[in-house]
Amino acid sequence: MFTDETLDALGVESLWRKSQQFAQESRGCQTRPVHTAEAEIQPLLNADNGTQTDPQDHHIYQLPPKGELQPESPGLRDFLHRVEDMVVKELASNAKSHAFDGFDVNWEDQNETVSCIHCLQYPSAQEKGLQVTSISWSCTGSVIACAFGRVDDGDWSTEKSCVCTWNLDRRGLNPKRPDMVIDVARPVMSLSFHPSQPSLIAGGLYSGEVVVWDTNRTQDLILAQTGMSTDTHREPVYQVAWVPGPRRGEMVVLSAGSGGRVLLWTVDSDEGRLVLSAGFALIRQQVPHNSALSKNRGSSNVGVTSLALSPWDLDTFLVGSESGLVLKCSFSAQTLAAAPPDGESVTLRAPAQFSFSPRGGPVHSLHCSPFHRNLFVSVGTDGLAHLHSLLQPDPLLSLRVSDSYVFGVRWSPTRPLLFAAATGQGLVQIFDLGRKSLRPAATLDQLTGGQPVYCLEFNPRRKDLLAVGNSDGSVNIWHLSTELTEQGPRETAKLEQLANEVAE
Amino acid sequence: MQFEETLKRIQTHKGVIGTIVVNAEGKTTLDNSTTVQYAGLLHQLTMKARSTVRDIDPQNDLTFLRIRSKKHEIMVAPDKEYLLIVIQNPSE
Repeated sequence: MFTDETLDALGVESLWRKSQQFAQESRGCQTRPVHTAEAEIQPLLNADNGTQTDPQDHHIYQLPPKGELQPESPGLRDFLHRVEDMVVKELASNAKSHAFDGFDVNWEDQNETVSCIHCLQYPSAQEKGLQVTSISWSCTGSVIACAFGRVDDGDWSTEKSCVCTWNLDRRGLNPKRPDMVIDVARPVMSLSFHPSQPSLIAGGLYSGEVVVWDTNRTQDLILAQTGMSTDTHREPVYQVAWVPGPRRGEMVVLSAGSGGRVLLWTVDSDEGRLVLSAGFALIRQQVPHNSALSKNRGSSNVGVTSLALSPWDLDTFLVGSESGLVLKCSFSAQTLAAAPPDGESVTLRAPAQFSFSPRGGPVHSLHCSPFHRNLFVSVGTDGLAHLHSLLQPDPLLSLRVSDSYVFGVRWSPTRPLLFAAATGQGLVQIFDLGRKSLRPAATLDQLTGGQPVYCLEFNPRRKDLLAVGNSDGSVNIWHLSTELTEQGPRETAKLEQLANEVAE
Repeated sequence: MQFEETLKRIQTHKGVIGTIVVNAEGKTTLDNSTTVQYAGLLHQLTMKARSTVRDIDPQNDLTFLRIRSKKHEIMVAPDKEYLLIVIQNPSE
């Protein structure tokens, strides 16, 4: 009754789903064939040409062609014709006129007195009996830094000392508390602020090292130092200074010590090292002689106790030695020094070119005049201040400053005829060369009870401030009177006259 | 020729340390920086002096300007188009 049956499968087509294969089109494209071609060229003729400028004629009466106004400018000739008579008449009457003789104008308040406005001390250095060996003003004129050390110790000193700075423009200045104290492992003998960056200070230590501190840093203030290597000085460094380096805008540190070496260091702040870039050695046998020079005694090195840079001629520098020699030296000297090489990385050269008449004892300080290119003043232990011209060996003028040693001398930055000297009796004598008498124009008593004054510096910005460093560890800031700071009429001319006198 | 001679006569007069000729736009006979500074400053001062004189009395006009300083005397001879500046160091 039931049978098996198989039925066909039934399929239902989708009404909406279509095969997607239908909608497909293919396209292709290709550029037309690209045409290429090659060609070569070569010049057949060669020519060389050079140009060079001609040296300009320096004839003052000739109108240089680079000016804008030429004689052909319209109306110029007529203009000059018109005004010539009137101008010449005025010039003639002016040359004879006495109308303004003795006429002076008061533009600012006159300050009649000299007063000590600050007496800066660092009690903990004073307790240790440290003395102020060197002071330096920052380029802005508001910060003064002083170095503590010892000048009277004869032997090797391992005493810890410090460098203190005070900012005089800060309110709430506490003279007994410096703004910043940098501890140094050795006594510091000399200090110098960077001439344009107010936070860098270079210092020379008793051990012969040279250090550059950066007061902007918070942690380790040492930016670069020489360390104890074969390049460094072996003797105390008595002077450091910043001089322009070979590249524009770069300054290198110059250090001079009693070992007879004058070395130039470049600052490598990444490595924290001062790298020796050039060096000079002063050897007694290589010093140019001028008549009487003492017999060769002791070591052949000429120990440097003071150094002065010339603001007029960047190549010249003056050196004062322990034995009383004053030498004119040049940075570009090429003669090699006769010193036996001691493992230094640069060859040392002999810089001395001219020798001035020697003094009786060590030359403690030299300074070149900022107003006359040939004048400088030197002081030493013989108590005299010698005014020299660079052109002759004998001094132009010899002034008795004090009966004891004189440790420092500085020209005034505003008055061409004025200079100040620091004596071993605790006085600063200020001399005015325009006066007839050779006695000091002013005497500043440091009130240290007769203890020596070791260093003094005029403020580069504020012309009426003078800082003086004493051996009792204090620094006095003096406010000078207008008479000592205002330039009088014809001072430059008088200085010129002084410089042109020939010593007998 | 005459231009140079005139200028030379003025320059060699007793005490003269410098002479500058400036035109109305401030161009000078010698283009170094000091001269240009002098020329610019004195040109402005001369114009101011002239307007001062004419404000006080419109019929009046500036003929000559002299500035005496501690170190020397500056004389300015003004004109419509040019200025002659002479710097003299008075009697020693």
